[in-house]
Order: sequence, then C-alpha cells, then structure tokens
Amino acid sequence: MHMLLLSLLALPARADEDQAETCLRTKIWDGYNSGWAVRTSTKATLNQAGHKVYLVTLYAGNDYKVLACGDSNIANADLVLYDHTGKQVATDSSSDKEPSLSYTPQSTDTYYIAVHASKLNDPTKQGSIATAVTYK
Amino acid sequence: MSLLRSLLPAFAVPSMVTILSLAACSGEPAKPTEPVQPPAPVEAPTAPPELAIADLEANAQNVTLVPSPAEMQKAMEKAGIADGLSKLVQDRQLKMDVENKDVVAVRTGVVLADCLLTVKDSPKEKLVERLGVVKAGMQSLGAGTDIQATIDDLTARITNDGISRDDLVKELDEMHGAIIPEIKFEAGERAVPLIQAGSWLEGSNLVSAAILTANKPDAGTQLLRQPQVVDYFLKYVQTEGADKAPDAVLKQLEGTLNKLKEIAAKPSLSGDDVKEVKAQTDSVLALL
Repeated sequence: MHMLLLSLLALPARADEDQAETCLRTKIWDGYNSGWAVRTSTKATLNQAGHKVYLVTLYAGNDYKVLACGDSNIANADLVLYDHTGKQVATDSSSDKEPSLSYTPQSTDTYYIAVHASKLNDPTKQGSIATAVTYK
Repeated sequence: MSLLRSLLPAFAVPSMVTILSLAACSGEPAKPTEPVQPPAPVEAPTAPPELAIADLEANAQNVTLVPSPAEMQKAMEKAGIADGLSKLVQDRQLKMDVENKDVVAVRTGVVLADCLLTVKDSPKEKLVERLGVVKAGMQSLGAGTDIQATIDDLTARITNDGISRDDLVKELDEMHGAIIPEIKFEAGERAVPLIQAGSWLEGSNLVSAAILTANKPDAGTQLLRQPQVVDYFLKYVQTEGADKAPDAVLKQLEGTLNKLKEIAAKPSLSGDDVKEVKAQTDSVLALL
C-alpha cells in the first residue's frame, strides 16, 4: 500500500482542468448563498509565470468579485484587475492557488483581468486555472 | 545503585539517574532529543509582473466581455429602473427551424435573455415554453447533449414544482455563464458570440425601454454605453459572416451595431441617444 501511494505521489503533475473547475464551481455555489451570481467562468492552462488576460465590461454600482482556482500543480496563482488605461485597480494579496479580488466600479467601463500562474509545484509541467467573474 | 556504579564510569551515573528519573516522571521511555531547527523562513508573496497596456490590448480574450442579462438587470435595479421590467418583455414566437444558423443563434440568445429576465414572475407554462424554444435552438445549432439534458432537467423540475424560483435563477444563471460558453466545441466558435449578441440586444432594448418609461435618461450612460461590446459583435458579424450569403437579419444587425457604435463613442448619452438605441434594437428584433 505504501509503495502504491509513493508511486502515485511520484507521478508527474499534470494540468487538471476538471480539478480547477470543480473547485471553482464549489466557490460559485457558495457565493450564491451570499447573493453573488456568475457572469462567466472560463479556464486556462499555463506554464510557470505564464498569464492570461480577459477583457470584461463592469457596470457602475454593481459589486464584482473575481474568483480563481488552480489545479494541484499550481502553488501560487494571482489576479490583477486593470482599468482601460492599463492602471492596476485591484489585486489579490494571497500567495495560494485560490486567489480572489473584489471591485466596485464608479463608472461602467471595460477592464482587463490578468490571471497569473506565478508558481507551479512542478515548473516543468503546466497548471490549469479556472476563473469566474461574479457580481451582486 | 552500587552495582550500577561498578559497571559504569563515574561520570555516567548521574546522567543515567537523571534520565531514568525523567522517564519515571513522564511515564514514557526517554527519547533522544533532536536539535531544534529554526523555523523555515516564510516566503513573502511576490507581486506578479505588471503588464503594459499594449500587452493587455494585444492578448485580451473576449470570453468574459459581455455582461449577462441578469447582471444587466442587477445594474438596472441599482439605477432604480428595474420595476416592471418583466412586463416589458414581449411574447415573441421565434422559430428555430430555419436554415441560417447565425439567425438561430441570435434568436436563441433573445429567448434565453427573456427566460432570465422573467424567471421570478413568469407563469410556469410560459417559462417551460421559453425553455423549450431555447432547447430547440440549441438542437438546431448542434450544441451537444449536455445543454439539452440540463434544459430537460430544469423543465421537469419547473413542471413538478420541484425547484424554487430563487434556485431557478441560479440554475439559469449558471447555464448562461458556465455551460453555454462550452457549446463552442460542438456548435462552433460562431454560435456563442451570436447567442450573446441576441441576449445583449434584447437586454439593451429592454434597458432603453425602461429608461424611457422611468424618464431617467441619465441612466443611459451607465447602462448602455459599452463600446467594446459593440465592437466585439460588429467585428464578428463583419468578418465571420463575410463568406455567407447576405441575410436580412444579419444585415440589419450590422447596421444597428454600427449605429450603436456611434452612440457608444460619446462620453455620455442623452435622452435622444437612448431613444435611438431603442429604435435600432427594435428594428433588429422585429426581423427575428
């Protein structure tokens, strides 16, 4: 049994989009209990230090929360929200694989969400990050 | 103890006595002590590299760009113009058995928006009927079995009163935001943006109607001015549809989007602009 466990642990880490999505879906449904609803969810597979950028329209007055979940190969994922001029307006301050950030825009406008795979447990492999834009 | 002294060197005996005494006190055999390691330094979180605007613009994906109808409704509530919104939703009879799949996608988006915006106070039969139209649209688009199974499940639960309206809002919200974007793998890349375009047009039409009804033209800037969204749909209709035979709906859609682009380029919208949004979106929806 121990040998089996050790051999499983020794398997190379692989990008696991399903794992990231399952984690995110749990967060989305937890959010419903607090009045949050989901606009869109999506996923990306990234290399160490890789990033993905999403364009997003945010309504003035609505509260927004961007949530993300990394798979088992993601050690640290980060989120940054930029306004349409490229100025950072919100960022998560955690160093884990489940970052989130909140923002309430003063005017309806277009923003950029950057999702970073800042650190991977096995940098020779890829990691998956599922991301959702939620609002209330 | 004298026997012990005779067997061990003199310096060892006091140590042995101490060890045995400690073992007796704790009731456990003595364990060799390990040197105390200093705690590992906590890795300070490092900020990700700041991205330049050129990088953001060049690499941004549009998957999260378009607001959902329910999100639009939330913004309308906060602007104080959402009262009576569901009564503004027209009872459209849209057919999905048409040849042009782009038109099917736009129509599906319109009916999906109607479902989302009326879910709390629509009669059960009307809700089931609208979901049936969405399902027919998805079938026509070849959207795969997952989305159809989801709609069947929701329909059964609505029919059997097995789901509250609040829970139904969540289910439809998730279907719109998380499940429909995945149909691109079966229905093709064009289907999702055109469904979104249908939902967004219907939402914009209802928002402009609500603003005019409430006589709050100032709300137009906050709720209708979305130039990037218009650009996204427009580029799709122009470039992706260029190889297809002209269709009256898509031609009108392109004209409407061009006009909405002009309006969205203004720093703020006037009451006349809101009326123009209403007229332009009316003209597309009337052709469906």
